[in-house]
Amino acid sequence: MWREKQRTFFAALAMAGSALLLAPGSAHAVPSFARQTGMACQACHTVFPELTPFGRRFKLNAYTIDNLPQVSGMNTSKEQTLLLNQLPPLSFMLQASYTSTKGAIPDSGVPGALAQNGQVQFPQQASLFYAGRIAPNFGAFVQMTYDGTSGTFGWDNTDLRYAKMANDKFLWGVSFNNNPTVQDLWNTTNAWQSPFDQRSATAPTPGAATLLGGGASDMAGVSVYGYWNDSIYAELGGYRSAPAVGAPLDSTSTNVLNGFAPYWRVAYERQWGRNSWQVGAYGMDAKMFPGGGAPLSGPTNKFKDWAIDSQYQYIGDEHLFSVMGTHIKEKQTWDAGGAANPTTDLKTLRIGASYYYHRKYGAALGHFSTTGSEDAVLYAPLGNAVTDYANSKPDSKGWTAELDWVPYENTKFALQYTMYNKFNGGDTNYDGQGRNAKDNNTLYLIGWLNF
Amino acid sequence: MKKIIAVAVGALLASGTGAVLAQSQQAAKPLATEVCSACHGPEGRSVSPVFPRLAGQQAAYIILQLDAFRSHIRGDPSAQAYMWGMASQLSDDTMKALAGYYASQKPSHEKAGDPALLAEGEKIYTQGIKAQNVQACALCHGQNAEGMGAFPRLAGQHVDYLVAQLQGFQSGTRANAPIMLGVVRTMNPEQIKAAASYAASR
Repeated sequence: MWREKQRTFFAALAMAGSALLLAPGSAHAVPSFARQTGMACQACHTVFPELTPFGRRFKLNAYTIDNLPQVSGMNTSKEQTLLLNQLPPLSFMLQASYTSTKGAIPDSGVPGALAQNGQVQFPQQASLFYAGRIAPNFGAFVQMTYDGTSGTFGWDNTDLRYAKMANDKFLWGVSFNNNPTVQDLWNTTNAWQSPFDQRSATAPTPGAATLLGGGASDMAGVSVYGYWNDSIYAELGGYRSAPAVGAPLDSTSTNVLNGFAPYWRVAYERQWGRNSWQVGAYGMDAKMFPGGGAPLSGPTNKFKDWAIDSQYQYIGDEHLFSVMGTHIKEKQTWDAGGAANPTTDLKTLRIGASYYYHRKYGAALGHFSTTGSEDAVLYAPLGNAVTDYANSKPDSKGWTAELDWVPYENTKFALQYTMYNKFNGGDTNYDGQGRNAKDNNTLYLIGWLNF
Repeated sequence: MKKIIAVAVGALLASGTGAVLAQSQQAAKPLATEVCSACHGPEGRSVSPVFPRLAGQQAAYIILQLDAFRSHIRGDPSAQAYMWGMASQLSDDTMKALAGYYASQKPSHEKAGDPALLAEGEKIYTQGIKAQNVQACALCHGQNAEGMGAFPRLAGQHVDYLVAQLQGFQSGTRANAPIMLGVVRTMNPEQIKAAASYAASR
């Protein structure tokens, strides 16, 4: 809904002072962590980007576990003032992909003509990371991404955090990040969702999204978290609008947060043998000025998200098995207008399972659905093929299946097929221009390298 | 007074116990709590069998292993994935302090499994397998699997971890224990499981 993917490189640099900018991105693992810790990828990942219990602990500890020669500094009161890797923890990621949809997309220039089907993107994405320790107890995960669709560089997932063990059992920390759930530890939430961490960047994707289901963008936040006895996690924070371009925030911006939007997260994790199981809940309460010509004052539209999630992992030497799912319910109140109804609902459900043999050959299957209230204004037909809603409903549903080959710990190839039973509110002629949901079925092949 | 202290310190150093050791163990505690515990659990009582329990382990054995990780002599898959990195910057003194810290923790207990398996395991553990030229485990690891010096404590260890080590000795992925390479050569998977289960249950 508020998906605006990328910001230009220079605009981002100009705002880099805040270091808390945003473009919602996809999930990535980073070899610079391996370089810093001297540990193989499999210590932290089942298969990247899904985290193992140790990977979660590494993130909780602010990415600071370090086994490299250090440049260090100390003041006269024996306080450590510097602890820096001799080599910066940098890494690079490259993704190339092929996308084919069941029905070709209409030509954007010539009515009645069709775009070429079978799009190659080289790269689909290329990212540069700084990921590792910055100072004692202080670390960063910073990703800058070149997006092959827009042809621009932009800020991607960024998480700066400070963490400290208070005693044997309790760890606390603070995270500064640029999108809700970037800081999350489990792969159920949006920023690092498994098993389908990658989707085609060119195929049509459903239009409606809950805030915590991928709709949140252009915000930066800070949260405080605690983890007790390797089992109970609690986090409380807040987000504020922070678009990478478009300062000052005024009537020309859209969907600007009024003040801070609180975000909360609780989870319980239990580990036994090679198993781990997590169950949790998270939510956000955002009040937004619609902007887009209207001044940023007066009534706001309210988006209240409440979500539950659960994840199970079995991590054996030979067999690896994961199941994860989340359900997000969003209550939307349109006090500032923009919808036909005063209140509407939107729900996101995602559930998936994956299996890997020797961390090398994998398969995954998952179901997704977005459902919500009918609304003739929110989901009004605008005369656009593919993206329109002819039935005034947001509903999209379908299945995704994937085969994976991970020849090296830092290289992954995936063949993915996504099947839509419903797309933007309908199955047949959902856009009012003759396109069926299944025309958007997508075959997607991706090669993904991290080094 | 100075003389007395000097003598006292000398005595402590000579014995390798007491206040000085306690002090170095204290120094190792933050490292153990903030780093090692991520895998090996609080006070060395890990949950996952990928990571050995270190509580009550023989100090000399821990030092030997840390040194073998640092010098890449111990190269089983988990050693490479986790410990080559973790041990790379450890000094000899830190290794000693960590070993002392873990050796002084109260050992864990592993639940006893299938009685028939344990009975077979007890036979192998206490008497060996003469027909296959397998020595009794108890000879080096002690009657109660408490270990001694360079010979590790097995009591209270994860069964899966012990099995993985025996398999590693057999396949050669873990080659830093020459004695064990000979011992496990002829053991079959059932015997390995039985011996590991018994030793862990002590």
